[in-house]
Amino acid sequence: MMSLELTINGERRALAAHPGDTLLDVLRREGYVGVKKGCGSGDCGACTVLLNGRAVNACLVLAARAEGASILTIEGLADGDRLHPIQEAFLDEGAVQCGYCTPGMVLSAYDLLSRNATPSEGEIREAISGNLCRCTGYVKQIRAIQTAAERMRSERDE
Amino acid sequence: MSDRPREPFVVVGQSVRKVDGVGLVKGNPKFVADTDLSGALHVRILGSPHAHARILRMDVSAAEQIPGVVLILTHENTPPTRHTTAGQGYPEPSPYDARMFDTKVRFVGDRVAAVAAETEEAADEALRAIHVTYEELPAVLSIDDARAEGAPVIHDEKDSTGIYEAGRNIVADVDIDVGDVERGFAESDVVVETTCETQYAQHAPIETHVVHSYLDSDDRLVLRTSTQVPFHVRRIVAQTLGIPIRRIRVIKPRVGGGFGAKQEVLLEDIAGWITLKTGRPAFLSLSRAEEFVAARTRHPMRVRVKLGAKRDGVLHSIEMEATSNTGAYGAHGLTVLANTGSKTLPLYNKAQNARFYGQAVYTNLPVPGAYRGYGATQGYFPLETAMDELAERLGLDPVELRRRNHIRVGETSPIFEKLGEGREGVSQTVKSCELERCIAIGAERIGWREKRGTRRREGAWVHGVGMSIMMQGSGIPQIDMAAATIKMNEDGSFNLLVGATDIGTGSDTILAQIAAEVLGVPASRMIVTSSDTDLTPFDVGAYASSTTYVSGMAVQRAAEKVREQILSVAVPVLKAPAEGLRLVDEHVVGPGGARVSLAQVCQRAMYSSDQFQIAATASCVPSESPPPFLANFAEVAVDVETGVVKVVHYVAAVDCGVAINPLMAEGQMEGAIVNGIGYALSEEMLLSSTGRVRNPSLFDYKIPGALDVPDLDVILVGSYEPTGPMGAKSVGEIGINGPIPTIANAIYDAVGIRLRKTPFAPERVLAALQGEKVRKGER
Amino acid sequence: MSETRTLDEAPTDAPLVSARGEGNNRREEREGDVEDVGLHHIQLIVRPSTASEAWRLRTSDPGATRFLGGGIDVVLYTPETVTTLIDLSRVARVGVSEDRRGLSIGAGTTLSELLEAREAGSWVGGFLADVLRCVASPLQRNVATVGGAAARAHPWSDVILAMLVLDAEVEVYDGVARSVPAAEFYAARAQDVAPLITAVRLPARPASARGAFEKFGRTGFDVGLLNCACVANVVRGLCGGARVAVGGTPGLARRLSDVEGFLEAKRLSRETIAEAAMLAARIVDARDDRRASETYRRTLTGVGIRRCLTQLAGIEGEGAL
Repeated sequence: MMSLELTINGERRALAAHPGDTLLDVLRREGYVGVKKGCGSGDCGACTVLLNGRAVNACLVLAARAEGASILTIEGLADGDRLHPIQEAFLDEGAVQCGYCTPGMVLSAYDLLSRNATPSEGEIREAISGNLCRCTGYVKQIRAIQTAAERMRSERDE
Repeated sequence: MSDRPREPFVVVGQSVRKVDGVGLVKGNPKFVADTDLSGALHVRILGSPHAHARILRMDVSAAEQIPGVVLILTHENTPPTRHTTAGQGYPEPSPYDARMFDTKVRFVGDRVAAVAAETEEAADEALRAIHVTYEELPAVLSIDDARAEGAPVIHDEKDSTGIYEAGRNIVADVDIDVGDVERGFAESDVVVETTCETQYAQHAPIETHVVHSYLDSDDRLVLRTSTQVPFHVRRIVAQTLGIPIRRIRVIKPRVGGGFGAKQEVLLEDIAGWITLKTGRPAFLSLSRAEEFVAARTRHPMRVRVKLGAKRDGVLHSIEMEATSNTGAYGAHGLTVLANTGSKTLPLYNKAQNARFYGQAVYTNLPVPGAYRGYGATQGYFPLETAMDELAERLGLDPVELRRRNHIRVGETSPIFEKLGEGREGVSQTVKSCELERCIAIGAERIGWREKRGTRRREGAWVHGVGMSIMMQGSGIPQIDMAAATIKMNEDGSFNLLVGATDIGTGSDTILAQIAAEVLGVPASRMIVTSSDTDLTPFDVGAYASSTTYVSGMAVQRAAEKVREQILSVAVPVLKAPAEGLRLVDEHVVGPGGARVSLAQVCQRAMYSSDQFQIAATASCVPSESPPPFLANFAEVAVDVETGVVKVVHYVAAVDCGVAINPLMAEGQMEGAIVNGIGYALSEEMLLSSTGRVRNPSLFDYKIPGALDVPDLDVILVGSYEPTGPMGAKSVGEIGINGPIPTIANAIYDAVGIRLRKTPFAPERVLAALQGEKVRKGER
Repeated sequence: MSETRTLDEAPTDAPLVSARGEGNNRREEREGDVEDVGLHHIQLIVRPSTASEAWRLRTSDPGATRFLGGGIDVVLYTPETVTTLIDLSRVARVGVSEDRRGLSIGAGTTLSELLEAREAGSWVGGFLADVLRCVASPLQRNVATVGGAAARAHPWSDVILAMLVLDAEVEVYDGVARSVPAAEFYAARAQDVAPLITAVRLPARPASARGAFEKFGRTGFDVGLLNCACVANVVRGLCGGARVAVGGTPGLARRLSDVEGFLEAKRLSRETIAEAAMLAARIVDARDDRRASETYRRTLTGVGIRRCLTQLAGIEGEGAL
């Protein structure tokens, strides 16, 4: 066993981990169950988290490689009761059905919008291309990200 | 009997936010695996390496010695009870041909043993230490081989029941007819015939099957499971484990997608048995590979359709013959087969002669089960292809041919009565149908007249448009039952307890909307608890597009009863007769504007005067299954150099009655359509010559992603179904039936080839294109 | 078909016995293989600070060690015999720098970092960026490193395809620091322990250099059934110094030197392009696998090379939706 020091949702943590653990294993064991397991092989994106500001498949990242890193999981997005605009937009646009792919999808959108405030539809599709969904057909998720982008722009302009 | 509610609605018809939405979007612990699993035994299943073999000897001694291993299950220490895993109402129309662990294995991946251990690693080590001696048997890997003379018998056991003819591997046989199809064809001016084949496909829900079992403090077995059918789980687990139903509680938390895969009692028996034997909680979840191989799949089918029509385009004779590969076990075999005809043929009720016949056949291959569309998907492929061919032969626009033939309001079809879900159906008359408008709107939106036959070329891409129409059903008439309980709280809110199973479909939300509409409150005043067999009344579960129509009606009735009780309490307060009172905006309002709040009403009933709990339970058994109707139009582009097919624009105009929540109804359609596009273009489980799945991963089983979605237009064309809650029908399944035939017909328009085998993968399309060139003498 | 035989052990294509239980059947060597025991056998992760230290550790016990770069391939493919991972995060340089000789890409640079680097984004008129944008998904590009992609050499690798047509040099360390042309590096795969990759160099190209890339997948997020690329200097319509490569055949990308020779000093007319494409389709080492047949791969090779060359020539008429 080893001790892993990293920051999760702004909180400095020291976690026990086995050298062979992935970031997904460690996060779920620590109670961050919003990080979902869908395939374990990086094909579905349900385990998406932000690692040092970049969206990654947590199931493909060896926990040891996250030593000293800053992680953002879905649990860290809302500010208490205040949802993030992306989360609000997903609800308003009907982009959540079973909700299993939602955390990963939202975080991929968060990564995109943190670096591109005016994404085209093509850029949105590319940003979530690694997040599979079987319920929605992606239509309302793409629209939700567009809505979130608009709302975040006007919030900034205010 | 109260007045049937009609528009204008207050809550119904609004796209309110999902009642469980906030928790989902925050990633709150809502799914089976999101709980404290410390202390739970981890369970792994050993799958068979052979497609067909007898288990001669099992040696688990070495495995049992591995530290951390607690219990190993085999056929030697588990109940032998034959049952079906199909989540259907009792008595299930599927054969009792499954055992928890059998002495025989019937497909690669079939259960051989299970290990419960303290850790996953120990369980895996134990799996590899289990020694099994098999007697390999010849396997049958196709329908034709399975039915051939002298074929090995897959279910040769004495104690299975409900198999049509086990000695010939035939699970089910259906044959119904109306009139005389042969004479009908002879009388027809034009006859077309086509045979289509569909492939092995898997639902690929992003959350695989998972269950968590434990004993509560009263030693009752609790199963927290990702299921579509909690009450069937309870009953079938009781049967399989040999314990009374009252000892079991089934709870369905949030489910990460089902689509039919979870209309099955797949893992709960194993977990339940382990918990009973060890007293410990057990956790069992399928890996993604196991989800492909050892969960459930779509029924691959070969379906032949023959149509005879008169010169005026009206169908005179329809024949559909379906042969269904039902894999190693017969769950849903009969009913999917029957549905292939029962949800397709009534659409074209003008034909006086019709026949549907076919068989569901065992093979030593992965097990198909329920999958959105449930046979209709496989049936519409040849039916709508044949209609397209018929139109061409008659010199008619395909759209016009549909117009002349589809069922309309006030009409019936003899098929409704002859063919139901595995047995006779129920006669019914269509009371709502806006299919004509769906067709007109869809044709306009795609640009049918401008684009059809033009074969617009853009580099290597040739464009074409195609269309199809379809119907489905809303629940299983006279068989499905749903119930709802509503009880009132003294702040004017209500608990809505429903057996109905929200698997991401949003049923919790729309049922809350229906109740809220009756009670004159916002949907947020309804606190929904669903799918807990201890707390919620019965519901068959989420299948057959039944939740809105059947569960919704139960909710509406319960709400109406509660409304009457509320009014009865308000009468002495407002000093007005009940007939003059209305529920509006969280108040009881009398003539002249006198009002009392619902909170005050409940406080009175709870604490002050003639106290009683305002509450009611109501049930619904539908007497008919009003079909939703759908017109699909697609523009595709075919790359004639590579065979790649892209859907450019897809239009689906659907009549689902009143849409309780329009955004959610659209979402159901969009998801079903994109799933159907994958089924049409890229999804295929590949099987080796030994019956092994060659691509059990999302890496090589390609489902559509965000880069693959076309410009997708779903148009809700409203109608009012008088037998439905608030005028609603259903929308859950129908969308998935569209893409295959619509895309096939569009490909024909673009490049003149008829594809009759899915998926329309590039290599297959290119081969067809090149074959066509050779046929036409081009080089 | 009525014989029976007895087997004591599960045969080698036994499915589904796995710790992680993942359908990890991506191994090209054994189709459908899902023997994946996860990483519970890993006992130690060491983090050397120099290439020579990393190399010493690696060669001290080759069967029990593996390099750890971005880690994707380690998570997915590490056999049970491996107990120690050698974390390269202190050794592998991160970053892209340009000088007169060309572009130097540190092995630790992620594919996303490379895609976003100003120098790389415009390399050969955006060709490199076009290729990178088609690799996997952004999620994986954020973790996968250039060194890892170059080392693992997945047969469908778009990165290696691009390296070949860009005349990349692979900078390695195997006791000694040296530079190997990519074509040579991937042709000679016989070493017991593959050298440590420290950087990839892309030599400077003239302004007349153009590139084109085609990838045929099943869905948008997919490895290629086949991929191909052409880079050449096109001056007054004449083709010079062409590099033509095809990958995912299902073998690793290889240059087609016969096609390159054919194109030398020729005008890129429709006829010449068609002839080059036909030649490529004929000579490409294509085979069947579960994703595509040999015949189809030859067809895709012809179409892909033709489309690439047409793009290089700037001829109208072909192209994607």
